[in-house]
Amino acid sequence: MSQNAEKVIDHFELFRGPEYTEMLENKKCMFENPVLPEELTRVTEWTKSQEYREKNFAREALTINPAKACQPLGAVFAALGFEGTLPFVHGSQGCVAYYRSHFSRHFKEPTSAVSSSMTEDAAVFGGLNNLIDGMANAFSLYKPKMIAVSTTCMAEVIGDDLNAYIKNAKEKGSVPQDFDVPFAHTPAFVGSHVTGYDNALKGIIEHFWNGKAGTAPRLEREPNGKLNFIGGFDGYTVGNMREIKRLFDLMGVEYTILGDNSDVWDTPSDGEFRMYDGGTRLEDAANAVHAQATISMQEFCTEKTLDLIEARGQEVIAFNHPIGVEGTDRFLMEVSRLTGKAIPASIAKERGRLVDAIADSNAHIHGKKFALYGDPDLTLGLAGFLLELGAEPTHILSTNGGKEWTQKVEALLASSPFGKNCHVYAGKDLWHMRSLLFTEPVDFLIGNTYGKFLERDTKTPLIRIGFPIFDRHHHHRYPVWGYQGGLNVLVTILDKIFDHMDATTNDVSKNDYSFDIIR
Amino acid sequence: MSDLHAKVQQVFDEPGCATNQAKPTRERKKGCNQLLAPGAAAGGCAFDGAKIALQPITDVAHLIHGPIACEGNSWDGRGSKSSGSQLYRTSFSTDMTEQDIVFGGEKHLYKAIQEIAGKYNPAAVFVYQTCVSAMIGDDLEAVCKAAAAKLGKPVIPVNVPGFVGSKNLGNKLAGEVLLDHVIGTEEPEETTPYDINIIGEYNLSGELWQVKPLLDELGIRILACISGDAKYHEVARSHRARAAMMVCSKAMINVARKMEERYGIPYFEGSFYGIGDMSDALRNIAQLLVDRGAPAELLARTEVVIAREESRAWQRIAPYRPALLGKSVLLFTGGVKSWSVVAALQEAGLVITGTSVKKSTPGDKERIKELMKEDPHMFDDLKPREMYRMLKEAQTDIMLSGGRSQFVALKARMPWLDINQERHQAYAGYEGMVTLVREIEKALCNPIWEQIRKPAPWEHAAMDDELAIHIA
Repeated sequence: MSQNAEKVIDHFELFRGPEYTEMLENKKCMFENPVLPEELTRVTEWTKSQEYREKNFAREALTINPAKACQPLGAVFAALGFEGTLPFVHGSQGCVAYYRSHFSRHFKEPTSAVSSSMTEDAAVFGGLNNLIDGMANAFSLYKPKMIAVSTTCMAEVIGDDLNAYIKNAKEKGSVPQDFDVPFAHTPAFVGSHVTGYDNALKGIIEHFWNGKAGTAPRLEREPNGKLNFIGGFDGYTVGNMREIKRLFDLMGVEYTILGDNSDVWDTPSDGEFRMYDGGTRLEDAANAVHAQATISMQEFCTEKTLDLIEARGQEVIAFNHPIGVEGTDRFLMEVSRLTGKAIPASIAKERGRLVDAIADSNAHIHGKKFALYGDPDLTLGLAGFLLELGAEPTHILSTNGGKEWTQKVEALLASSPFGKNCHVYAGKDLWHMRSLLFTEPVDFLIGNTYGKFLERDTKTPLIRIGFPIFDRHHHHRYPVWGYQGGLNVLVTILDKIFDHMDATTNDVSKNDYSFDIIR
Repeated sequence: MSDLHAKVQQVFDEPGCATNQAKPTRERKKGCNQLLAPGAAAGGCAFDGAKIALQPITDVAHLIHGPIACEGNSWDGRGSKSSGSQLYRTSFSTDMTEQDIVFGGEKHLYKAIQEIAGKYNPAAVFVYQTCVSAMIGDDLEAVCKAAAAKLGKPVIPVNVPGFVGSKNLGNKLAGEVLLDHVIGTEEPEETTPYDINIIGEYNLSGELWQVKPLLDELGIRILACISGDAKYHEVARSHRARAAMMVCSKAMINVARKMEERYGIPYFEGSFYGIGDMSDALRNIAQLLVDRGAPAELLARTEVVIAREESRAWQRIAPYRPALLGKSVLLFTGGVKSWSVVAALQEAGLVITGTSVKKSTPGDKERIKELMKEDPHMFDDLKPREMYRMLKEAQTDIMLSGGRSQFVALKARMPWLDINQERHQAYAGYEGMVTLVREIEKALCNPIWEQIRKPAPWEHAAMDDELAIHIA
């Protein structure tokens, strides 16, 4: 097919025709001073070698294709989990535009957040005036019930003091004195988005429990037997929160979700635009101090938050994004122990169905090697499920994982014979993963959308589980927690296995002897 | 930082910018940077503007010197296509940490540049300053200079930290970077009387490739496109073009004007969107080339191509008229697109309910007035709430806009078509306008819109019951 003015072809097809293939080939030979094909092959192959891997792992300064995001992204996530809350990021506006598009591309929903739009003047003289004006504008423009403040690097580098600034803004009348303005310092040059989530959530809880910045008495805890639940920074929060609530309701548990983003990132197309929707009610956030215990689904997202809660006398339990039968068992049994409520027969039946499904399909997963990367808690949860399925995790990598994470993953791997050939890589990036996939190949890769470059390069089929997922739609609406969630993850993995099987068995009269209808 | 400051002032005082020239002297000095209202929703920063303007250069490594924030959230977020290298889609960052903030990030940066050169050997490395590296005082220019000397290849400092201002300012400062460090640093092997530059075109969805065949047919060579599908050396050699077309009137006007001043390359402002505008663009290119000494027969040949293409496009749009006649459109986009698609949409039978002129120049606005004779409804800055009200009250049948307004439209149950940077369809050239009309027809006719505007079936039943009671 040729490109001409009569019929102009778009970018999908343009360069595929014979003329273009030929022309580009000629251009390469005549003008691009190409290296000999053998040389090209030699270097390409070298980048796949053990020698290159060693050089790659000796890299000190450059990060290539990192699998993490920044603190304020996590802070915005946490803030959006509360009723009528506007995330307000003190710092530069460009960062906030990124958070909004990042979340919108993943959740396919509008994401509301504002910044104090600091400019060069503010960088020199401090951002106080921006914060004062910004709070006033945000309050009158968007009529929030609460404004949760976090910071970008810009405010952090010059050391703006949020506590003092917010007091100042209230004195200047930006918002009423008793208006809720929790805050957290969230520099991107420390930690990652999971740290930011932790800091912001802690800031909000501290605000409500410790006297609302001096505008109310500090709450005294009067244990009421209820349970608090924290989900953490979770790309599946929409599906997961609904699943957790369903399970709690089935058990008859009295609970408070601290940070519930499931409605604000899943509003219906019914003719009404909801800038705010759902979320933890502010009075519930305050009363959560009286709960008997708090469960966090993601330990590394809630380290500081749980310390704060524990210090107020509650029992705190932290999981690592539990996925699958055993993970869910442990979660439900803790809930049952803490509340004294029995796990009903209906949930037991769900468990039986997941077990049945895994049994039906186990032959296809058993012994398959997996590489996975992602946030610290998610990789732990997924690794646990893979072991349960009889899969063999081989490389587990987390750019924002640290020493503690490494120890936990290693302990998990040691608990199963399927984990014995697996290595753990904390603080490494996806270019490291590329070397791993070439030197120690696996059958499948689990990761977020950015894994598609690795898939193309190394031909390792990518199973999309994680955050962000930009190029497949709506998976965030399905839970990965609970037995139902385990089933979803199982199906996601199986679908890729079967797709791959079909794709590698469909050459007519070459390998289509395996191109089967029944798999 | 003072250099940067001077640069910003200089860009504000751009004589090629019509908006700027319309202002009294005192105001002009203040600059054209719209002041941001803290606390109100805002768009991208200057860094983002610089990055999107330069990132389409395909065979260079774009290294972001800052904490993970700036690159982590924007990696490969723009659909500018490449016919060659894919290096520009790889994410390079120094991923600064607390250590760097305290002790300075210059050595870290220098090392990162070295590692890139060693591993990728790109045509050049573009190094982007961010708020943090700027504030701690990392001397980007000095590091780049040292690295360039050591590595023997261009290392270009893009000293445009986010805090200096808006995305648009970032576009312009990116232009300055090219003028200062790239353009005119190499010589082309040969030149022809038919060499042009296209400035401010980013080849989103491969749009440049919809236009290029026509230029090829006329024998006109694109010496450099700045910056869509560009290679570093093309930009470096672009100062030998005979004429230039300035595509997005606001983004890189300084580049076009200064290239005229320095190298005597005349330019005109034009657009590839819309049938009339596409023809004007071809006509203007031919005229400028002939003015500079190309054989005059080019003009006649150009008219032949224009006549043929126009009639073909109109013929292909005509079949959509019955389905589209009388349907109304709200255009919500910026710059030239605000008027340049209006004519084609009108020809297809659509009524334009309104068009936004947030990024348009006074000239753009005049064109709109001419085209929309009866009711030139222009919004300077349509607030999302206002847009939502218009859509909800169904004052219009379909909205054409960028991705950020999409969800507002969908919540208001409004058919919506993406005509901004993240779209997957190319709308440039004659071909693009036919595609646009076809896409509008598809969007309007999709059964989901009927479904989405109906209440749930059980609500229907309840309403019928109520009605029955009333009638009884």
